[in-house]
Amino acid sequence: MRWFGFGFNAFGQICVRETPMKEEESDVTQEVKVLRPTELRTSRVSACWSRTASADPDGDGGVRLAGFGVGVSRACGVYGQQSRGCKDAQISESHLTLAFSDRVECWDLQQEAKTASWSMELKDSDISGPPVKLPLVPGGYITPSPPFYHSLSPHLEAKSLALGAEHAILVTASGAVYTWGLGSHGQLGHGVLISEEEPRVVEALWGMPMSRVATGGWHSACISDGGDLYVWGWNESGQLGLPSRGLSKAKQQQISQQAEEPQDEQKHEDVFISIQAFPALLDVTPSCEITAVSCGSRHTAAVTSAGDLYTWGWGEYGQLGHQNVMSSDEPQRVEFFREQQQRVTDIVCGAWNTFAAVIKKDVACA
Amino acid sequence: MAPLWSKISAVLPPNEEDFPLQFGDKVCPSVVDMLKRSRRQLYSDATGAERLLYAQIILDVSWEKLNTGTWRHVDKEWRRVYSYGCLFKAAALCHSDPSSDEILQAVRACDMGLLMGAAIMDNILQVIVGILQLEVKKPSEEDDETEVKRIKVDDSHTPVIRDELAVPRVRCPSLESFNTNYLLPLKPVILEGIIDHWPALNKHSWSIEYLRCVSGCRTVPVEVGSRYTDESWSQSLLTVNEFIDRYILNKDGVKDLGYLAQHQLFDQIPELKEDICLPDYCCLGEGDEDDITVNAWFGPGGTVSPLHQDPQQNFLAQVVGSKYIRLYSPKDADKLYPHQSQLLHNTSQVEVENPDTERFPEFAKAPYLECVLQPGDVLFIPVQHWHYVRSLELSFSVSFWWT
Repeated sequence: MRWFGFGFNAFGQICVRETPMKEEESDVTQEVKVLRPTELRTSRVSACWSRTASADPDGDGGVRLAGFGVGVSRACGVYGQQSRGCKDAQISESHLTLAFSDRVECWDLQQEAKTASWSMELKDSDISGPPVKLPLVPGGYITPSPPFYHSLSPHLEAKSLALGAEHAILVTASGAVYTWGLGSHGQLGHGVLISEEEPRVVEALWGMPMSRVATGGWHSACISDGGDLYVWGWNESGQLGLPSRGLSKAKQQQISQQAEEPQDEQKHEDVFISIQAFPALLDVTPSCEITAVSCGSRHTAAVTSAGDLYTWGWGEYGQLGHQNVMSSDEPQRVEFFREQQQRVTDIVCGAWNTFAAVIKKDVACA
Repeated sequence: MAPLWSKISAVLPPNEEDFPLQFGDKVCPSVVDMLKRSRRQLYSDATGAERLLYAQIILDVSWEKLNTGTWRHVDKEWRRVYSYGCLFKAAALCHSDPSSDEILQAVRACDMGLLMGAAIMDNILQVIVGILQLEVKKPSEEDDETEVKRIKVDDSHTPVIRDELAVPRVRCPSLESFNTNYLLPLKPVILEGIIDHWPALNKHSWSIEYLRCVSGCRTVPVEVGSRYTDESWSQSLLTVNEFIDRYILNKDGVKDLGYLAQHQLFDQIPELKEDICLPDYCCLGEGDEDDITVNAWFGPGGTVSPLHQDPQQNFLAQVVGSKYIRLYSPKDADKLYPHQSQLLHNTSQVEVENPDTERFPEFAKAPYLECVLQPGDVLFIPVQHWHYVRSLELSFSVSFWWT
């Protein structure tokens, strides 16, 4: 499996150009915005706004950091040591969380601490169970700042969990979806804009078992057992794949700048979605099921059973992978991987960038 | 050095070391690093595109923070970061021989910082926007005035005020008499003749041309939709020129009503502040003069503020046009059917001039006072008095909230 990254790279978190050419003006833009998917040597990625944490494929599961502060405050090798044998890692602006087979640790990235800021030992019963999938840990979940650990009711039987800017979503063993936290942009999917202190079941999805969940800054997504994708929350940049007023305005400005004649047909009353407070079924592509989904702060990426990657939402930093900086309120296939005969198998979004896992397409099957 | 840039760099700190970038620990070090990169560019030979790119990253990342959580809970440090982004963007746009469009974009960047950010470096955005405004070409004389006269015709009827319901009027009462007869007993009154000396009503008469001249290129928040309780109501940011063209002169033929409402325009545009004065009667309050909130209310005929109450005393000064106003005492709040929701609990559900008598049977029993406020009139709305306001024509009012 190979990983490719694209989008925001102002801190070199995707790649560092080996020979920066300062003469040409566009080079800084090229450094900051990686438009063409670029390979990372890793077997797993987690990304925050300014950094990535990736598994070192040569080491013993060790984690390599890239991006802000790396090489200045702490060499990547140090975490290679501390993280040897780690099974999962998550990075935020302030902390690195590492899950090992017998413990979970949170490391402060802003201090040269020699020990973890927080850690928990796993019980024997947890160690024999399924591996830890951060931010979920036995009995609760980990947030990126102190006090780190939050307990969850055991009745929920959480299977996986995702954290947004100010909200959280989990899916239970039986496939029910719960959300809580800030509800101001409809991100909880309860049909209202109020916040919830405690996990509350998303009733609109009742009876449709879900398998995977994801959160962006102000939106949420989940995939049903049948491979359908549901989205809800804020559609400010088209991140729900529904008609967005802001994008329509930008598009019309472009049209009127290009065309001399005013476009009268554009005047019809369009329906735009700003906030979608209930889950909406999103038809990404009619023929395929969705197998993976991930959300950036204002964009969304989904993988189909055919191994195609679709992206939509905010594209200003190239995070949609269409090799431009356009936003889109419709799912669009990322042609790069098709052209390269690559089959996308998994997807991880950072705040303003995207990482795709691919395998070579089996020619006999294609 | 280009003349505009030399004026702007004259108000910036002389070098990188003297340029402050101090933030609390709410702002992550990665963002501070980005701010430092922008600061370095300011004193280097970086290209305009590079400068704009980093300024935009700062604006994008702080914009996301400003939209996380409720506005009240957004940390002021992030609003300062946003202001720095606006400063760097304006500087990037003006760095090398800017076009007139780039200057307008720089004005907008400063205004966005003034509207959504927090003050930085002795309010440097206000200083820079002042410099930029001098560069903006004044609009050529247009025949706006005749167009305004034409749109006045389609106004709805002016209500006839019955004497027994009319808000009393007094001419220039003494402080003592106003205090005894109106402020202490919390009785509404129209004060006449107390703002006749305002430049806004004399040599700087607030005509469309004058407002375009002093504030045309400035970005302001505009409420779109008949009333803020409507579902389709929204807020957008427009320049004063765009607002006048679209909602006052109706140039694009849009049906929506636009209202530049409840905006502290006078803090944003000092020239307009010079045209008004705080009413002397405000000194009867216990609050500090600096705590008086002065808001502008500028819009076409037909704008409606639904029946609501505010937590402070209010002087509503009418400068241009006329407004129909109805007042209900807080004693009668039980007949006014306030909204249940936390957000609108100070607003009545009743459409005052077209009440649903079946849903709100008690409303008709509530006694009220009414008036048509004319240019030069100042209405005293006592604290928590419910008021309903409808503009009868193109109107500009100034409200003073005080305690």
